[in-house]
Parts: sequence; structure tokens; C-alpha cells
Amino acid sequence: MSAASEAFYLPALFLTVALLGGVRIADRVVLLPPPLFALVLALLLLGVLARSGAIALDRVMNAGRSALANVNGLIVILAMFLASAQVFNLVTPEIGLPRLLFSVFFLVLLLNTLAASPDRVRVLRSLVVIFGSAFVLKFVVLAALSDPTGGMLKRALLVLLEGVTLGTLTQSVFHESTGYVAFFTVALFMVGLAALPSEMYVTPPPSSDLIIRGS
Amino acid sequence: MALSERTIRTFGLAGVAAYAAFVAWLYVHQPQTIQEVAGGMAAGVGAYRIDQQAFDDGLQFFRQDQFAASRAAFERADPAGQDALTQFYIAYGYYRQGWGRLYDDARLFASGLERVNKAIALAPGGRLRVEDSNLEMRSADELKAELEAGLRTEPADFNPLKVFRRRK
Repeated sequence: MSAASEAFYLPALFLTVALLGGVRIADRVVLLPPPLFALVLALLLLGVLARSGAIALDRVMNAGRSALANVNGLIVILAMFLASAQVFNLVTPEIGLPRLLFSVFFLVLLLNTLAASPDRVRVLRSLVVIFGSAFVLKFVVLAALSDPTGGMLKRALLVLLEGVTLGTLTQSVFHESTGYVAFFTVALFMVGLAALPSEMYVTPPPSSDLIIRGS
Repeated sequence: MALSERTIRTFGLAGVAAYAAFVAWLYVHQPQTIQEVAGGMAAGVGAYRIDQQAFDDGLQFFRQDQFAASRAAFERADPAGQDALTQFYIAYGYYRQGWGRLYDDARLFASGLERVNKAIALAPGGRLRVEDSNLEMRSADELKAELEAGLRTEPADFNPLKVFRRRK
């Protein structure tokens, strides 16, 4: 990974995710800080990424690097941690039963992934599926159910959910631009995760080909 | 000319620290408009100035009891909401407009309380005193107490002698 990526691009990208992850647009723009549980999930995600080799911690911080380079590396890790917390904050419903269910779902899924120890590519694919489906459930399905004006999707969902008390499912209604910001944020976060220095590939020395360190 | 790695890392560290501070500032202050963002940043480095002409207009309207007009002028004078004195006058305008001999307008008083709290938060050390002979309450603390009292429901509210009280 180049010095510019480590010092500029990755921290800036993750800080942007941390900023946008809290944006909720309704009658006013609110920036929500991450709840404590999102920090726990972010820590677990950091563990998953380190264990799978999606981030090689010894490539961003080690005794052989200069102090300045280690500080840059630490900032990458901290920014990624904050971005992860905000992405969990973003895709978790705001209130009620869905919030509880999503939180438990994320926790179990991350613990399961930690135990399974998949490789980098599988972890990244799995995260796309997790965040993608959570995004769809929150910003498409639950948003449609919570929409007071209703719509085709809401009517279809009401038929499917016949007998369920909607009071346990409905969420705060946000302006639809919140969903667009959320989509961009999740996509940016996945780009950032894919760009992290991984264990599979190291920067090639000038005269050699790619070196594969991992299995 | 290629920059050395050390230079890149140093500038990167400084740039990211500044960006992180900006993000933290946004979360703490929750600005609603670009003007509030720009004004807040300018106030942070002591470079924020209100529009004095608009402020004077607002003061003139305020003294003529044209509170809606005075608020419009004060908002124009302090679009970022970073000037304690302007926020104080906006709060005072809400108080005077919402004050009633029989009852106070809770909505206007709540808006006034929000603004006076903002004025107190902006004032150095949280202490704001305004030397204006037109005002009976010359400190933000007095105004805040009056607005809070107006928002409370107390047995004294049913005292018929209340109709003789004066607007401050």
C-alpha cells in the first residue's frame, strides 16, 4: 500500500463513511452518533477482517516501521473502526422489534464468521450480502411499511404480513434522500474494505512478481 | 518533483486530523445549512462577523414591537446563528410576542427558550449581559428564567391578579 493511500485516501474514505453513516434527513438533518452496541459490532468486524486477512494489521503497524508510518496505520484502523460502527448504525432500524432483531442478527452473524474463519474474499462477499440485505430491509421494506401515505409495496407487504401488528415494525419516516445517502455510504465502505492492505498481497519489490504470503 | 514519503505522511496526518475534527464538529453542532457550517467554522477561528446593517434593522423593528420582522432581520444578520447578542434579541422577541396578560404562547416561549439557551452557549463563559435601556431583563439568565416560568403550569397561573402583571 502506498504512503498516500495509508496517509490520505483510506482515512479520508473511512471518515467520510463515518460522517455519512449518521445522516438522517427528515424535516431537519440529524447526525446520529453510533450507539454502544454498534461499537461492539464494529470491534467484532475488525476481528473478522483481521482474522480473514482482509486487513493485515502487521502491515499497517509494526516495530520495523517509522513512528510516523505507525501513526498513519493506527489512524487507518481507527477510522475503519468508526466507519464500521456508523455503517452498523446506518443499516440497523432506529426503533422497536426490528432494531432488536437486526442487532442480534448482526451479532450472531459476526460471531459465526469469526468461528468459521473464512478467507478475505469470502468475508468481503459475505459483508456485501449482510449490509446489502440489511439496507434493503431497512430502507425499502421497513420504509415502505412505515410510509404513512402508503403505496403499492406497502399494500403488498400488508397482505403478506396479515395478522402482524405493524406498531412493532414501523419506523421513523425519513426523507427518501436518506436512503440514497445510505446506499452511497455502504458502497463506499465496501470499497474501503476492499482497498485495505490485506495478507494475500504485498507490494511487490521492484524486480519481482507478486508475492503470496497467505495460504 | 516527487514528494518524499515522510512529507506525504506528515501532510496526510495533518489533513486527516483536520478532517476528523471537522466531522466531530459537525456531530456536536448539528448544523442545518451551509451558512451554519461556514459560520461555525469562521466563529471557531474568531473570523465570524454579523451583518451590522441587518442587525440595526432588526433592533429597530424589535423596538417597534414588530417581532416577526425583527426576527427576519436578525436571522439575516446572523445566518449561521453564531452571535450571542443577536440570538438574545431573537429570544427576547419571542418572549415579548408570546407574552399575554391572561396566558403566554407556549410555542413562542419554547422557541425563545431554545434561542436563549443558544445565546448562553455562545456567550463567553455562558454569561451574557446586554446594556439596553429598552429592556427590563438585561441578562440571558433572567430571560431564560422568565421563559421557563412561562412554560410551567403553576397554581399562581390561576391568580386573577395576574392580569395586572407587566411585560418586561
